[in-house]
This record gives sequence, structure tokens and C-alpha cells, in this order.
Amino acid sequence: MSLETLSVVPALPEEVAPGRPGPSGRSLIWRAWPGPRARISLAAVALVLTLWQLSGSLRWIDPLLLPPPSDIWVAAQELLQSGYRQTPLWQHVAISAGRAVAAFLVAIVVGVPLGLGMGRWPTLAAVFDPFVQFLRPLPKIALIPLVIVWFGIGEGAKFFLIFISSFLSIVVGAAAAAQGVSQARIRAAQTLGASPRQVFSHVLLPDALPGIFTSVRLSVGIGWTSLIAAEMVAANAGLGWMVINAGTYLRTDVVLLGIVLLGLTGYLFDALLLLAQRRLVPWAGRDA
Amino acid sequence: MRRQLFRQVLSLLLACTALSGAAAHAEAVPDEVRFAYAGGPRVWILGKIDGAFDKAFGARVKWVPFASGADVLTLFAAKEIDIARFGSSPAAAGIARKLPIEVIGVPEVIATSERLIARQGITGLKDLEGHAVAYPANSTAQYAFEVAVKLAKVDRSKIRTVTLKPAEIVSAWKRGDIDAAYVWGPFTQELEASGGKEIFATRDLQKDGVLVFNNFVVRKEFADKYPELVVKFLRVVQDKVDQYKKDPEGSAQAIAKHLDIPLETARSTLAGLQYPSLAEQLTPAYIGQDASKANSRIARAYKDTANFLAEIGEVRRADIPESYAPYLNTQYLQRALAGK
Repeated sequence: MSLETLSVVPALPEEVAPGRPGPSGRSLIWRAWPGPRARISLAAVALVLTLWQLSGSLRWIDPLLLPPPSDIWVAAQELLQSGYRQTPLWQHVAISAGRAVAAFLVAIVVGVPLGLGMGRWPTLAAVFDPFVQFLRPLPKIALIPLVIVWFGIGEGAKFFLIFISSFLSIVVGAAAAAQGVSQARIRAAQTLGASPRQVFSHVLLPDALPGIFTSVRLSVGIGWTSLIAAEMVAANAGLGWMVINAGTYLRTDVVLLGIVLLGLTGYLFDALLLLAQRRLVPWAGRDA
Repeated sequence: MRRQLFRQVLSLLLACTALSGAAAHAEAVPDEVRFAYAGGPRVWILGKIDGAFDKAFGARVKWVPFASGADVLTLFAAKEIDIARFGSSPAAAGIARKLPIEVIGVPEVIATSERLIARQGITGLKDLEGHAVAYPANSTAQYAFEVAVKLAKVDRSKIRTVTLKPAEIVSAWKRGDIDAAYVWGPFTQELEASGGKEIFATRDLQKDGVLVFNNFVVRKEFADKYPELVVKFLRVVQDKVDQYKKDPEGSAQAIAKHLDIPLETARSTLAGLQYPSLAEQLTPAYIGQDASKANSRIARAYKDTANFLAEIGEVRRADIPESYAPYLNTQYLQRALAGK
């Protein structure tokens, strides 16, 4: 294992000179950021922003319908200075992020063991599968009227909506990861005299972790998208609420600012998870 | 090959738009006129029941429902509706946001159709401190609530407020999550049916000179194209108001039956509005006309509303027009009155 870990180090992007392809063909995402790809991405973003700005400046599109980046910038400065509805802008971001992180953590803590169990024991899977498969594709917005009746209009309702959408995908992802663990490897460990606990901690978990990480990353994305649904329920702060409330006053500039912040925060979550994955599961994608 | 197909589609599209434009000019009556309505008991619903608008226009009327006035702004921005009846405070916000709309009339002054209902034990605005109050976002009810609290010198920071859609207010109330709500009928009556008591009504603001009302608003592009139709619209509305005044009970029954709501709810909501006539609307006590428009009560009420929304941070102060008079188009009212 230690040799394995050492050999990974040179592949990390910090060590790779820009432009030079990394030694490993599997770490595509890591290589994507520095180098010519990044320049193409930046150019594409700059081009879209310019066109967007021009569409407003040259009045191709009514700024009420699509406020140009300059309007959003002005709105951002106004909100940074005086907040939105008596709440500073950073607090809206923090409140939303807080709600989401709390729900993610519980979803991971509950969802991963349940998923692993379902992947290992067919009986457990048979019990939970119908419910998971029924609830998972359900649009969570459809639950809002019920959620208000069940959980009221406090934080409970918001927590539940984010939790339920990320939890179900984590369960499915973790179950698939556990199922994907090679039976031969488990038998080999058992033949060598490993106890069930050792099989779990030395074979099953290390093998399933990369898959679990991927499913957590996907689920966090899904959970973050349901933030809007969650904050449709009687919120008076938070990014999702800000977008909805500004929409009722046709403050499309604030709506777009909220969308940009939602996107960036989601991006940040994903980047943090990617970093954690690299630190905690350096063996991801390199089968021994 | 692909490029050719693209060109064909493009020319087809161009032909279609040219054709539809030509057709509209030739007959000067649209195929369909789209009204936005809140679904509550209001006098103009009588025209929905007997098809009076359709007959007067010679065109089909499509009634687009919405949950609260805020949705109307979105519908106007998307050009999905032509005429809407909704509250003065979202209208003031929409005009400040340069939405291409015009006010063509103020059919209803809100008196007791929107009320603040609270649980037993809360008897006045002062008692709301330390309690949770709900109202629909960007609504006349929210505006009335905020102004009432300010005028009563209640510590606003001690009142917890949440914005909910009217139907959600009822479920939050039944669960016990809120202690009071400022909303309109039929929801006020539902709250009263489950133990609520009225502690304030929008009419109570009138003695302080605050006017909260509902307005008819048109999409400017639509009104410029079909001015005659807008005039006809106002005449039919006045007919319906006359019909209601002549037979309030029969009208309430018809509306209650049509909307499938309790008769008492329809009766009290309809009676909770004041209906200025076409002639009254043209006096400075309401919209006014020509020179009297600039300083009319309605023009000032819009400005006050917008200033208030800017104060609470919903509207940008720089967006508020110097005067709302240019957005009050009285020519339709004048012509409707002249043709009477």
C-alpha cells in the first residue's frame, strides 16, 4: 500500500508542469485544469461573458429579461454594502451552505452504511429497494405541500428536502459500490483467515470507497439543486430564498447574482470533495 | 445538406411570423385575450360566468390563474397575459422595474377583503411582538401589514414574519406554526373557521390616508394595438359592478357556485371591497385625468408604495419613477365613460 501511495504523488497536478501530460492516463480531471485546456476554458467563458454583456449594452435583449454582467456587478456591490432584506450577502450564502452541509452530513452518515449493507446483504436490499427506487426519481418539489404539513415551516422542512434528495442517491451509489467489490478478492481474504470485520475494513471498504466518493459528489450536487425547493418553504434568508423573493419583485439582476453564487458555491463543494477524495482515497482509479 | 435544411426551416419561420403579423392587422381583434385572475371571489368573475367579455370582444378569453400578485409580474414579463387584475403594491414594483405595463383602472379599493387574522389572545398589533406572522410575498397584504405595524409604532424587529402562499398560510396556521396572517378571502374565512379573530383590516389604514387597492393593468403593447378592446373591457367590468350592486346576493351565489367556495366567503369578500365607478375613478380622489392626474390620490399611493418597498430593500430607490402619473393611462376610462 505505501509503495502504491508514493507512486501516486508525481501525478498530482501541483507537481506536473503545465502543458506536460501527467504520467498516468487515468487522472484526466487532474490534468484538465492547468495547461492548454484551462486556457481554452477561460477563453470560452470570456467569450460568453462578452457576448452576454454586449447583448445588454447594445440592447439586443431587454436588460429586464437578461441583465448583463455589469448590472449583476452593480447589484453585487449594492448587496455587499447594504445586504439583501436586512441580511448581509455573506450571511445568505452561509445560511444556505449551513443548511446544505448539515443535510449532506446526515445523509452521508446514514446513507453510506445503509447502502453498503444493501450491497452486501440481498435481504436488506430487497427490503429497502422498492422505497428507494420509488422515492429517488420523485421531483422533490412535489413533496413541499406535505413537508409543510409534516415538518412545519421551520428548519426541519428545509433540512428534510435537501436530506431526502441527497440521501437516496447516496444509498444507491454506496450499494452499487459495495456490489462492485470483487467476490474473488473477498474469498481470497477469507481463505487467508480474515474475520468478517477484517474483510470489511481491509477489502470491502477500501475497494468501495472510490465509488462511494463519486456517488457522494453526485448526491451533493443533487442536494444542492434542491436547496431552491427547500427555501421555497417559508424562508426569510438564504440564497435560494433570495432568488425566489427577488423574482417576485422582478429584480432579475439579484436573481442572476443569486444563481451565480449558487453555482459557485456548488462548484466549491465539489472541489472540496475532490480534494478530500484525493487525500483520503489516493488509490482511486488504480487497481492493484 | 444540413445547411440547406437549416435555411428552409429559417425561411419557413420567417414566413410564419410575417403571416401572423398580417392576420392580426387585418381583423384588429386577437384570437384570444388572456386575463390573469387570482381565483378568488371578485366581481369581474361574473363576466367569466356568463361570457360577457368574450361576447363584447368577439374573441375568446383565456383566464390564467395565479397565486399572488407577484406571479403577475413574471407573466407580464413573459408576455403570457394581456390584462390582469391584481394589487397596487406589486404593480408599483413592476412599473419601477420598467415592465412595459400601464394602469387602466382601479376597480376595487381594499377595505375588509384583506385582513389580519390572529389567534385568540392577540387583540391588537401591539400583541404581535414575539409572535410569527405570515403573508404572501410582494402583495397588498404585506404592504398593508408593514404600514400598519409602522403606524402603530410596534417594534417590527420583535415580530417574526414569513412569506407563504395563501394556501400554505392555512396549513401553517392549522399546524400552529404561525400566530397571525395577513391575507385575503377566501383564506381569511378559513383561518376564522379554525379559531382566528380579525385584529386589523386594510380599511383601517384609510384614516391615515393610506390607500390600498387593486388595479387593472394591461400589457402596453397589447393596449396600443387593441385600444377599442380595452375600452370594451372597462365597460363590461362596470356592467358587472352594476349587476353586483343591483343584486349582491344573487351575484355572490353565482360566484360562490362557479368557484366552488362557501357562499358566506364570497359574500363577505365581495362586500369587503369598495367599487369606484368609471366617473369616480377619473376624479383626483382616485386616478384623476389630464392635469389632475399628477397629484391624484392613486398616483401618490403608487409612489408611497414604491418608496416603502425601497425602504425595506425590495426595490432599488433609483428605479422608482419621479411620478407614477405617466403610467396611469386614463384615455380608456374616459372613452368607456363617454360611450356609456
